[in-house]
Amino acid sequence: MIGWIMRLLPPGSFVWLVLHELRLARRPAGKRSRWLMAIGAVLVLGWIAFGVWIGGLLADVGIVPGPMGMAGAALGSILLFTFMTTQSILGSQRTLYEAGDLDLLFSAPIVPRTVMRAKLVGIAASVVLTFAIIVLPIALPLAWFGHPQLFGIPALIFALALTAACFGLAITLILARIAGPRAARTVGQIVAALSGGSVFVASQYFSNGAPRGQRGAVMEALFEKMVAGGFGTHGVGALPGMAAFGDPFAVTALLAGSLLLFILTTRGLQSLFLSGYRAGGMKLSRPKRSTRSVAKQFHDRLFGAVFAKEWRLMARDPALAFQVVLRLIYLAPLFFIVMRQGDDYVLIAPSLAFSSVLIAGQIVASLVWLAVSAEDTPDLIKVAPVRKDQIDTAKLSAALVMAAPLAILVPVGMAWTTSIAAALFTLGVTGIAGWASGMIEVTFAKPAPRSTFRRRRGGGSFIRGVAQFAVTMFFGAIAAVGVWVLTTTFRLPFNL
Amino acid sequence: MTSALRLTGIHKSFDKPVITGLDLNVAAGQLYALLGPNGAGKTTTLRMAVGLTEPDQGGIEIYGIDAIRNPLEAKAITAWLPDEPMLYDKLTPSEYLGFVAGLWRIPPRDAAPEAERLLRWLELWDVRDTRCEGFSRGMKQKVALAGAMIHDPRLLILDEPLTGLDAAMARSVKDALRAAVDQGKTVIVTTHILEVAERLADRIGIIANGHLLAEGTLAELRAQAGAEDDTLEDTFIRLTSAPRIPA
Repeated sequence: MIGWIMRLLPPGSFVWLVLHELRLARRPAGKRSRWLMAIGAVLVLGWIAFGVWIGGLLADVGIVPGPMGMAGAALGSILLFTFMTTQSILGSQRTLYEAGDLDLLFSAPIVPRTVMRAKLVGIAASVVLTFAIIVLPIALPLAWFGHPQLFGIPALIFALALTAACFGLAITLILARIAGPRAARTVGQIVAALSGGSVFVASQYFSNGAPRGQRGAVMEALFEKMVAGGFGTHGVGALPGMAAFGDPFAVTALLAGSLLLFILTTRGLQSLFLSGYRAGGMKLSRPKRSTRSVAKQFHDRLFGAVFAKEWRLMARDPALAFQVVLRLIYLAPLFFIVMRQGDDYVLIAPSLAFSSVLIAGQIVASLVWLAVSAEDTPDLIKVAPVRKDQIDTAKLSAALVMAAPLAILVPVGMAWTTSIAAALFTLGVTGIAGWASGMIEVTFAKPAPRSTFRRRRGGGSFIRGVAQFAVTMFFGAIAAVGVWVLTTTFRLPFNL
Repeated sequence: MTSALRLTGIHKSFDKPVITGLDLNVAAGQLYALLGPNGAGKTTTLRMAVGLTEPDQGGIEIYGIDAIRNPLEAKAITAWLPDEPMLYDKLTPSEYLGFVAGLWRIPPRDAAPEAERLLRWLELWDVRDTRCEGFSRGMKQKVALAGAMIHDPRLLILDEPLTGLDAAMARSVKDALRAAVDQGKTVIVTTHILEVAERLADRIGIIANGHLLAEGTLAELRAQAGAEDDTLEDTFIRLTSAPRIPA
């Protein structure tokens, strides 16, 4: 369809390029299995059917822009905007450093600003596609079945996505300007993870700070307080709510505002975009003159050499930085639970022990998978006079050492709030579970170039998944039961 | 004469037979050029020699070591440099050499000065702490070459080693390969640049359709082709019956 429309348009025109970007946005990198595509299609159809059912159910229910609805729309817009900005930062990084088509586009007889505009629309389009699949199957049937004012929601999503794309590109380009293209990739991934996870951390902070059983009420009270304070009902803050409920002025204002920002971004950031592209395309690493000796790079033992190499490759992997920060963010609920001291530790401690095993297993498995499966030069390892099991052991050890700082967080917290005995027991089982998870990855992961690992991640074997699940449940249960026994039966007097 | 590499009765098939009954004997202390048209099986042959591909049938010996039964012993004295450099983009040349030296278990006291010598010789000293990701293909090839030589191998097997090198560096590499042979090492290269084989090689093997078509010195090959005044290019084309473009 898009290809057919493109044939009708003047090649190289802005709309033609935008359609090209849309075509690319619809085709995610890597091969997808037919099964996964079929499951995805069924889920989307199910979601649409659910939306139609809800639409029919609420056809006669009045949906009016009251203060709660307006505040809800404003809050939802903020949530969407943070996730969209995260996606836009990642999308901008892909455009600048990974897509590899800018050489072609800039060498063509097309005005650079047109290329940049098309790219920006492409980033926004990929964001819109993601969120449209989530929101529109519910919003559009609701609008169709008696609430036409909700047709404002697609316009709101488009305006938010375009604004987020401008912000995402600006953050990426400014980071590239300040820190250079290589650091920009790593810092950008961290900023993206933080922006995506900030709402989650904030919600956990408020809900976990409340006493047990009252967390929902606390969140409700907080929301009511925001509504009473005029959140989402006054001034510019009311625009998202008004647009969602179909106010023509608000829809026009948001669309015009986002389009104006789009024009200003493409005008204001054009030179930054070009310099960012050149810096990314020409050299990712700055030439570094050094007066240091090379002696410190050499190691007495095989483990030292492999560990140093794995450590450097992981530390220099921007995508991994994103994953680590995300994992830290998702540890937030545990952190809040661990730090909430009280009499219910006898109940909480076993679940913390289980969580500790789960976290360690996940982290070690990810790192080992990366070390083994994302091996840039498997042939170099194969032609070296070392056995595969020696290399695997060194990689597993490296992953365990690297995972240790994250894996000990929960046991350390437990030592503080429950008992040292329970913490030590958890630490021991966590270590064994991490080792077992790593061994599963060592057994199943296949070495292949790092550049292809993102694509291969989706193709994880079923047996590996089952084995990881079994290991987590087995050691998690041991840790939970052991900690429960330690904190109830023996009541060891080791509490801090 | 000691044999550096001996392949006997090698067979290898992928979708179709690639190597069919190949016998090859490379004497120690020689520079041996393996030539052949595209798809002749040169790279497959060399990958089998270094243990990257398993033969379906046949034997491989490196300096008398059975490379199929004792692969680690054979690998310890062999270096492999493929046409696509085996590099980590995120490592610097000195870090890469440190890793390779670790794999071959070269003590730091031996590896560090050798690394410095190689980095200086290959004109990589000034960029030894710069990550390889921004390097040109020629520079990457030089880093990989340093990696192949850091453990002082007795047998160097190089697949198109001059790809991507500028004229001056190509000359340096050719000189280095010759110097290695003068020191008693054995070098096996594949190349499409017949002039390189003509000038450098002690012996030349021509492989086509998975078996050795002809082997010997340049003069012996000319004699086999029946044209004693021919260049190696003419001899090669005669022997492999490659189609000529009409004048």
